Amino acid sequence: MVNLFKRMRKLKTVSLLNIQIGAGAATFPTASSATKEFPAITRLHLTYARKIYGGHQGARHFWRNCLPRLKYYNPAVPMTVRQTDQQDGPAALTIYFSERASNAATLLAGKVTDEHAPKPSSAETSVVLDIKDLDHKDIWTKVKNMTGAQEIPASAEQQAELQKLEQMRQQGDKDRVRIAAIRQAKADQERMLQEARGEVEKLKQL
Amino acid sequence: MASYSSLLPTAARGILSSCRPALHPSPMATFLPGLQQVRAASQARKKDQKTTAKKKKGPREFKQKDLKDMQQYALCDAMRYLRAFEVGREPTAAKYEVHVRLKTRRDGPVIRNMLRFPHSVQTESRICVVCPPGTRHEKEARAAGAVLVGEQEVFDAVKAGKIEFDRCLCHPDSLEALNKAGLGRILGPRGLMPSAKTGTVVEDIAVRVEMLRGGTVYRERDAVIRVPIGQLGFTPEQLRDNLRATIDQIKKDAAGLNDRITKEVYEVVLSSTNGPGFSLNGEFKSDESPDSAVLQGV
Repeated sequence: MVNLFKRMRKLKTVSLLNIQIGAGAATFPTASSATKEFPAITRLHLTYARKIYGGHQGARHFWRNCLPRLKYYNPAVPMTVRQTDQQDGPAALTIYFSERASNAATLLAGKVTDEHAPKPSSAETSVVLDIKDLDHKDIWTKVKNMTGAQEIPASAEQQAELQKLEQMRQQGDKDRVRIAAIRQAKADQERMLQEARGEVEKLKQL
Repeated sequence: MASYSSLLPTAARGILSSCRPALHPSPMATFLPGLQQVRAASQARKKDQKTTAKKKKGPREFKQKDLKDMQQYALCDAMRYLRAFEVGREPTAAKYEVHVRLKTRRDGPVIRNMLRFPHSVQTESRICVVCPPGTRHEKEARAAGAVLVGEQEVFDAVKAGKIEFDRCLCHPDSLEALNKAGLGRILGPRGLMPSAKTGTVVEDIAVRVEMLRGGTVYRERDAVIRVPIGQLGFTPEQLRDNLRATIDQIKKDAAGLNDRITKEVYEVVLSSTNGPGFSLNGEFKSDESPDSAVLQGV
């Protein structure tokens, strides 16, 4: 197995901090925290095409960036993703509300239909959001407005950690330059010696 | 100077030492003895290298890192993270894996075995059996659920490039025919070639097929055993049962190896197909972990 520090560093930076803070770090209203305005969210389904042309890039980025955070903070909400081969097909996010959809959701809902999304059960209402040609941050803003998700701000510790990592990265850049210079100097020295030796040989041959 | 006189046979050394002053006649050729010395020293070093090359093998044990620097997680917490990383993946394709780090010597026997989980991980593995056609074994193998059974038909199918199975077993009676057919080149690289060493040449085919259908093969590589232990849809309880079964089996294997060889489980890391590895601390859940009921399904 890889060295512990490498493992820890990677786990902390790439994984854990990244999954805890950023766009999508928010909790959906659950059955206990649902209000009249924003009913509880029961499921999410995302459909987009395999390639990015035709406006599917944002949808994929949403899956890559936001969905893991949403899943982390809402472990009980099933989230499914369907990747299709139909490039001109829809890029759609289907949100399932328990009982009835929120007013904001019905206002923002797109006119697309997503045949890959599972049918809502009798206790659910689904709203399809058209996310073609949208940036993943825009998609997240829309989803937030529709569902009334409560964003979780980064704690002081997490901020400090982020800062520390940023510092490390900067220091790493500096060190890389420094070490490259040292290595270059060493290589030059060696080359010079080699040349000098070559000259001695030549002199001997003469 | 001792360095070069030590290289010579004792008799010669005696002679030399008697005429040693003659070797350093004058300070005139100051650079010469220096040169000699250097040469002698380098010779000595070379000889040293030769003798130590045999001895030098590096540490005998694998280096173990101190785990107190490692942040460790309860099973439910690790599952929560991993499920977030695997969001949107095919629930049957994405799997939980466990990496068991052992405390062991670099040489010596390794653990390799098969294990049957309380909750089956693979959906279904297709098994091929090579045995003499028309025998009792053939019937039994088919009854146990093998997909492809026979001798010549199997060889033909493999040679034609149709390998539609994940495991291959062989009956000792057919071993000779199998070796003659020269399938090692095709099956070998895929790890499908039956051999007595891997336990895929067996008498009681039917039992083995049964076992293989729900079983998983694992082996120790560089002191780590890596096994898939669950589908992403598993509940924490199911995963815990499988994990426990795995660790118990590994401990049993380690105990059964040899009296003189000790292997211990050093670290257990839970990972998944697309996720990072989380070192487990042995707890089922911590105070912050969510209810275990929500950690299942997609």
